[in-house]
Amino acid sequence: MTAITQSTALWYASRATGVVSLLLLTLVVILGIAVNRQGRLPGLPAFAVTGLHRSVSLLSVLFIAAHVATAVMDPYVSIRAAAVVIPFVSAYQPFWLGLGAVALDLIAALILTSLARARMPRRAWRGIHWLAYAAWPVALIHGVGASPDLRSGGLRLLAIGCAMAVGGAGLWRLTQRAREMPRAERAAAVLAVNEPPGSPARPSFVPDREAR
Amino acid sequence: MTSSMTRPLPSLARHSGWDRDEPLAGPAETRYLGGMPRLLPPGPGPSGLRTHLARFGAPPLDWAGRGLVAEVQAAGLTGRGGAAFPTYRKLAAVAGYRRPAVVIGNGAEGEPASSKDKTLLWAAPHLVLDGLQLAACAIGSGTAGLYVHRDQRLHQWLAASIAERATAGLDLVPVELIAAPARFLAGEESALASRAAGGPALPRFKPPRASERGVADRPTLVQNVETLAQLALIARYGAAWFRSAGTTDEPGSMLATLHQADGQVMVVETELGTPIRDLLRLPAPAVLVGGYHGAWIPGELAGRLPLANAALRPLGAAVGAGVLAALPADRCGLAETARVVRYLALESAGQCGPCFNGLPRIAGALAELASPWPRPEIIADVRRWCGLVEGRGACRHPDGTVRLVRSALEVFAAELDQHILGRCAGSSNRPFLPLPPDLALDEADWR
Repeated sequence: MTAITQSTALWYASRATGVVSLLLLTLVVILGIAVNRQGRLPGLPAFAVTGLHRSVSLLSVLFIAAHVATAVMDPYVSIRAAAVVIPFVSAYQPFWLGLGAVALDLIAALILTSLARARMPRRAWRGIHWLAYAAWPVALIHGVGASPDLRSGGLRLLAIGCAMAVGGAGLWRLTQRAREMPRAERAAAVLAVNEPPGSPARPSFVPDREAR
Repeated sequence: MTSSMTRPLPSLARHSGWDRDEPLAGPAETRYLGGMPRLLPPGPGPSGLRTHLARFGAPPLDWAGRGLVAEVQAAGLTGRGGAAFPTYRKLAAVAGYRRPAVVIGNGAEGEPASSKDKTLLWAAPHLVLDGLQLAACAIGSGTAGLYVHRDQRLHQWLAASIAERATAGLDLVPVELIAAPARFLAGEESALASRAAGGPALPRFKPPRASERGVADRPTLVQNVETLAQLALIARYGAAWFRSAGTTDEPGSMLATLHQADGQVMVVETELGTPIRDLLRLPAPAVLVGGYHGAWIPGELAGRLPLANAALRPLGAAVGAGVLAALPADRCGLAETARVVRYLALESAGQCGPCFNGLPRIAGALAELASPWPRPEIIADVRRWCGLVEGRGACRHPDGTVRLVRSALEVFAAELDQHILGRCAGSSNRPFLPLPPDLALDEADWR
């Protein structure tokens, strides 16, 4: 095993943040599918899944930024800043890093349109958000192709696990049809589950005969 | 702070029985001399066309296309439907498109605690219809509509008023009556646009706003009926006259629906900036300001505030559509809030997950907080859930509901502590704040 020295620290940091980014992006995609199909997570109200999806997305942006920054700064291989966003122009591993640039551009589009969602037409946002299904596989292939780490040992199992998780969530999405319940009944259905027994007749403090 | 604070008490025009069939016989035919009330007729009975013309004269339609937008800007008129958006900006926005525009007067008062629009439509329909014509002329529109709750007698009264004007040759643009479903959100601008085009009255995501793409994708000016009536007076008497009432920042008069603690409900016309204590009979434990998307304010504090956004906004409240309610001393504010929030949750259009999942969850927790021995930890849950639904709907329904909930948790904090100990300040459980009897059961109820 190679020791971590000053010259290899950035290289290790880039690989580690890359792996964490993969895990977070996997989680983001699964949560996004859950949001889309009104899925529930144990111990979490349905409307909190959206918030979690957003929070994990923003967290993954931080790790992707660190992953890209450390890769560019690492003196061992020379990656020009332009190659970060322009696909297939890198001198080092042009194809695999090119896929990384594609994934980065797609993710940037997803994040920026979501931040500006209130100020843009709903349909445009939705259309762009479909790109998530392209961004995740491209990012995974970039990782597996560029880094031998993901092709062996425990990290290979991790990559396979991520692929199976997203694949499983995708299959679940296809089998789950969009919410069947008519719009007018949805709030009432949720209320029926959440109201304490006795409501709305009011389980209250005052004797019932006072009620109208 | 405001000039009106030092003025003598405003004269309040009290009308509380308009929502009945009224004979067409109006008050004496007198010219309007510029005082208060401005919108509501001075005597009993509604204004028929003859009375209306004797009082105000014909609307200056030929002038509207040239000068009305600038006059409305100088007057500082803001939307009276609740959002207080500058009226001239909407007029200018819709007038700026080259495509043919639509004007719709919004009288779909979905707020159960408000009856000022209905009162105005009964009492002074021709002021509203004048405003509709003037707005249509100002923006060069050839299509006008009046969107009003499906109430047969009111529709008959308005249809007769429109026909009377047609016979007199008063109107340049034909006016179509559009029936609004009895839903809380039916008057929301995009819901109105959908309903006016024949669809269900469901809010949609913005952008585009109705002013850009509304009814049948045409630029659509949606104005509250009271705003149109104010516009009809500004067109006749000018910006300086309009500003002679109200405050410098919030000029003019407004209609307000007052719920006194003894159960009396009345619609009054009052100047903006009028002290709340001159409108409601206080003391009261708390005052609800701005309706069911509004906020509770402690009664003592409310007694020191004017009815003006400049004073209310720093407290998280707003004038809104002018609903003021004094909580009776024998009622529990938490129980009242729980009832209202339950209603608001059920009025969710069921389109946005955070709204139709979040509001019922919050309503369920409030029902527990309104009953004996609630679990103390659900107060923090409600606060957290409020943050999760805020700003996450196609319309402002989640935001408005959360505003009411947060204010209740704050204003009734001492009462919450009592509930946790199994005690309650309320000695009566008779409902105070009004709620409609029927809720939406299927999609047809949104049409």
